[in-house]
This record gives sequence, structure tokens and C-alpha cells, in this order.
Amino acid sequence: MSESNQQHVLIVEDNQLVIDALRILFEAAGRRVSGARSIAEALVTADADPPELVLLDLRLPDGDGLVLVDHLRSRGATVIAMTGDDDPSKRERCLDAGCVDVLIKPVPVKELMAATERWID
Amino acid sequence: MSRLDAASEPLTLNAPEARIAVLEARLKDAITEISDLRARDALKTQFLANISHDLRTPLTAVITHAEILRDGILGDLSPRQLDSVRGIISGGRQLLNQVGEILTYARGAANQLALVSSRFAIKEVLEQVSKLNESLLKKKRLTLWVESEPGLTAVIADREKIAHVVGNLLGNAIEFTPSGGRVWLRASRAAGETPEAQLVEVGDTGVGIAPEHHDLIFREFAQVDATPSRPHHGTGLGLTIARKLVELHGGRIWVESTLGSGSRFYFTVPVEQAE
Repeated sequence: MSESNQQHVLIVEDNQLVIDALRILFEAAGRRVSGARSIAEALVTADADPPELVLLDLRLPDGDGLVLVDHLRSRGATVIAMTGDDDPSKRERCLDAGCVDVLIKPVPVKELMAATERWID
Repeated sequence: MSRLDAASEPLTLNAPEARIAVLEARLKDAITEISDLRARDALKTQFLANISHDLRTPLTAVITHAEILRDGILGDLSPRQLDSVRGIISGGRQLLNQVGEILTYARGAANQLALVSSRFAIKEVLEQVSKLNESLLKKKRLTLWVESEPGLTAVIADREKIAHVVGNLLGNAIEFTPSGGRVWLRASRAAGETPEAQLVEVGDTGVGIAPEHHDLIFREFAQVDATPSRPHHGTGLGLTIARKLVELHGGRIWVESTLGSGSRFYFTVPVEQAE
């Protein structure tokens, strides 16, 4: 697959170590990967190069990641939320905001691949 | 001299007005002291919650990297490399669980835990938790049986939190029962409880707990043997969290045990949550 038609995955996550791990995973699966460590950075990246899929952490240094969902969806992205705990009320909040799925970190690699393949292939 | 020292000085003034003034001053000091202590306690709880989150994130990365290797995404590993990578994953997940317990504890202490209720049969939870512990039980050659009184109705409660309580109690039962022993999970009607409730029992044939320790074990950070060389490890929060989650439902938790003859932990779950 040439670079232009590789699907673009944007990982919005404040910890670079997590971005690096997910980058290895998605690049091995043939995707193009960008990382953003804040809401501000995610907006710039998503406008410059709209992603097909966004993995979105909720706790970002400049606010609640969910504020990005409407904007990302308007750019054509499917948004999957990632959260550090399995609080069911948080899950509902993500789905209400327009995320298609909510994954609990650390998301087992197989589960992560299955969830992303379900939404962008 | 601290405020508490001043407060304990003998009161020698005779005029009633003077005595009242002194007592009022002491009361004011005591109220300030209490509010200072509460503020400091809240800060400590918040610190625990923050540090737990900050510990989880890099751990998440470690586990994901190890799973990428284990699943052969970057190429196949030799059997010995695979064993080693599996060790990283299971150590990482164990550490993550312990950090998660600290986070739950901190939220409980700050009254930030809310119930998300649904209708379910307690037996389903007992089966779910026993399945999660299958490999541990097998490793220790422990026999587990799960039993529910016939005709037991569903309850309306927070399923995840009830599973958390059963998981913590079963985890202890497995940890403190020598190889070849028995553990059991049982649900039944709780006799004489108002409002109507069900009783969950988590029992084992393990080392048991001396009666003088029955209250201590539910206190935060308490372990019967707290020395660094103690044979059993953990955060010491499992039973404190279990008690918090049970009480959040309006239930109660207790233990019946003597040294050397196993333990039976019981908790009640009201059939419906009070509005």
C-alpha cells in the first residue's frame, strides 16, 4: 500500500511512551501514525492531515479529551476513547460524546487491533 | 506549645465569665485543628489518586510493548524469549492491579465512588470471578466450588463493585490457603436482615485469622504480619476496599475464623438499593 492511501491513525495521549508503543503496533499493521500530546496539538494535526481513526485519551494536560470529539468527527474521523479506569459512568460519557467505543488502558494488543479493524477496514 | 497542649492545661480560673472565655477559646482552637487535619488528609488522598494515575501510564506503555513482542507483531520469538516476555506482562499487570487498588482506595476515602446499579444474579458474579482466578487456583492445586441457594432472586446493585469485593476476598482465600486446600463461594438469602438482603460467603481451609485480628484486617494498610520479610504481600488495602464497597451498598462485612482452621468472610448485599 502506498503512503497516500495508508489509513491515518492519530493517537491523542499525554504520555509519549504510550504513543511510541501504539505507533509500533499500528505501523506494523500498515497504518500511518501521528501522535498529539494535548488538545491544542491534536487540533493542529487533525486539521493539517485529517485522520481516519483517532485513539483519544481523556485526561490531557489542557483539558478533557472529549471536547475534541465533535471537531474530529466533523473532519471525518472515527473516535475511540481510551481511559485508565473502568468506571461505567465514564464509559457512558464517552459514548454520549460521540465515541464509537471505549477501551480500558492498558488495552490488550489483540483487543486494540480488533477494535480498530472493526471501525476503519 | 501546640494548640493541643494548651487545650489540655488545667483550668484554674474561678470567675465564670473567665472560664467561659477560656473554654470558648479552646473550642475555637480545637475546631481549627480539626479543619487543618481534614484539609491535610484530603491533600494526602488527592496525592494518592494523582500518583496512582501517574504510575499507571508508563506501566501501560511497558505492557503494550511486551504484548507487541509476545504476539509476534515484530517477528517470532524463541520459546525462552516468549517466556521472558510473558513474565514482563504478568508482572506488569500485577503491579497495575495494585496501583488500581490504591486509586480505588483514594477515591473511596474521598467519597468519590458512586454506584452504577443494574439487575443481576449474585451467582453470575461468583462464576465470573472464579473463572478469572482459574489459573491461580490450578497453580496452587486448590479446589473451588461455587454454590447458590435455589430460587435466589436477582439483586439491584453495582455489579462491577460486587465483583471487586468477591475478587478481593477470593484473592486472599487463594493466597492464604496452602496447596491442596479448598475454597468456596456461596450465595444465599440473608436471614433477619432489614431491608431484605442476600449473603455472600467466601470460605477457605487456609491458615485462618486469630480473633484479636478480626477488626484490624479491615483497617487501611493493616496486615497481620507487617514485617518486610512477611510471606504475603500486597497493598494491605484489599479488605478496606471490600468493606468500603459493601458499605456503599448499605451492606456489612465480617469474618469468622480461628487460627489454623480456615476463614469464612461474609458480606450482605441489599436486594434493592435505597433511593
